[in-house]
Amino acid sequence: MYTIEHAIAGYFFLLLIVRILSRRAGGQLTLAEFVFVFLIGGIVILATVGDDRSMTNCVCGVITVALLHRLISGLKARFPGFGAVVDGTPLVLLKNGQWQLESMHKAHVDDQDVMAAARGKGLRRLDEIKYAVLERNGSISIIKTGG
Amino acid sequence: MAAKPETKPVEDTVARVNNEVAVGEDLEFQRKWWRFENAVWVVLTIVLILDLLGAFGRGYLAKAEAHATDGSIRVKYEKIERFKTPSIMTVELGPGAVHDGKVNLWTSENLVTKLGSQRVIPEPLVSVVGNGGTLYTFQAARNPISVEFALEPGGIGLYDLSLGVQGLERLKLKIYVVP
Amino acid sequence: MDAVLRAMFGYCFLVFIVRIVGRRPGKQMTPFEFVLIFFIGGLTLTGMVADDRSLTNALCQIATVAVMHYVITWLRGRWSGFGRVADGMPLVLLEKGKWRTQTLKKKLIQDDDVMAAARDKGLERLDQIEFAVLERNGEISIIQAKE
Repeated sequence: MYTIEHAIAGYFFLLLIVRILSRRAGGQLTLAEFVFVFLIGGIVILATVGDDRSMTNCVCGVITVALLHRLISGLKARFPGFGAVVDGTPLVLLKNGQWQLESMHKAHVDDQDVMAAARGKGLRRLDEIKYAVLERNGSISIIKTGG
Repeated sequence: MAAKPETKPVEDTVARVNNEVAVGEDLEFQRKWWRFENAVWVVLTIVLILDLLGAFGRGYLAKAEAHATDGSIRVKYEKIERFKTPSIMTVELGPGAVHDGKVNLWTSENLVTKLGSQRVIPEPLVSVVGNGGTLYTFQAARNPISVEFALEPGGIGLYDLSLGVQGLERLKLKIYVVP
Repeated sequence: MDAVLRAMFGYCFLVFIVRIVGRRPGKQMTPFEFVLIFFIGGLTLTGMVADDRSLTNALCQIATVAVMHYVITWLRGRWSGFGRVADGMPLVLLEKGKWRTQTLKKKLIQDDDVMAAARDKGLERLDQIEFAVLERNGEISIIQAKE
């Protein structure tokens, strides 16, 4: 019982932490964030397992997390509003030559990041971009002008 | 000159959908797989419920109690223990067990060797090892007396444990240790 | 030695659980999925190691996991049937203007996810997609409709 409730609490805690921290442009974890994940993850694991390090207990912990994740994924699919809370929504950053300043400030993204994503698609100049969208997983999608 | 690399002409090996896109999809197999996945989720849920109930130790179903008919000894223990996980076995001794302010408690050797008895609370005056078990002598101030064994099982499987007051009825317990 | 058995069981159990839980569609692993895998992996390893924190045990169990991984990879190469079970297969999501509703429901995918993949290719609307395929690694491949 101890393990299961700690596993559930640990899952939501990690979800919250990652949700607050992430969605930097690029979507990849920096080295510092890696370290942070290891640290926080490790602590949560130790707290979940407690003094009971038998395989039985750990298996139950894993099953709890798996079931919980499945439940959350199912809810996200069923209720798009729920998905918006848990994952966030895509954000338009650039629309027809206009920077969406409020979205960019809130998402801590600057024009350099958008241009970097555009270069990744082989574009050379900002005016070749029709739409730039910050996706939920942090990557920036570029839609070119001229189709 | 280097040896020629092994080659094979490209054949249409990846199954097509509608003869157009080479995807390699097999919906029949996939449907069977999805049924299998559903079954797995059900099994996982059942396992978790059993765990909550204590079928794998540390819960309601695992708790057990045994007592002697003459009231000399009663043991609160867990039928199902977990490997390398601390637990407490409580032995309550009745008035018939005390002689000259002392109680002699005999336990079979599995308590120490397999079930990993770490500490005995309160500390016995004397413990004599031999004859397939250990004889503990405790000072008894008043009745009833309660002795606790802190266990941390070091072996996996089904173990027999017997314990009792010296000369009186012995309780035979079966404890299963899960990994 | 039961340290080896624990390592074998731990590895197989982990592979199994990850296969069952699956992941959200997308090219990259989202930061949360990364944390989740770390959480589950950490819980499993705690059960594997149990109480034996010696270097000997660590090396022995690492070797076991390495061998198991090699065996699984080898099996995957040898029998295509095993590959289907272990990794799954590509699944069509959208075919010429029609959604594969059962597949979408089972995989908990929304049309948003397909559109996100399309945007990544620079497409703007759903009707520009001829085929959308969910690959085994979670990526959604988009084949454009010919103009």
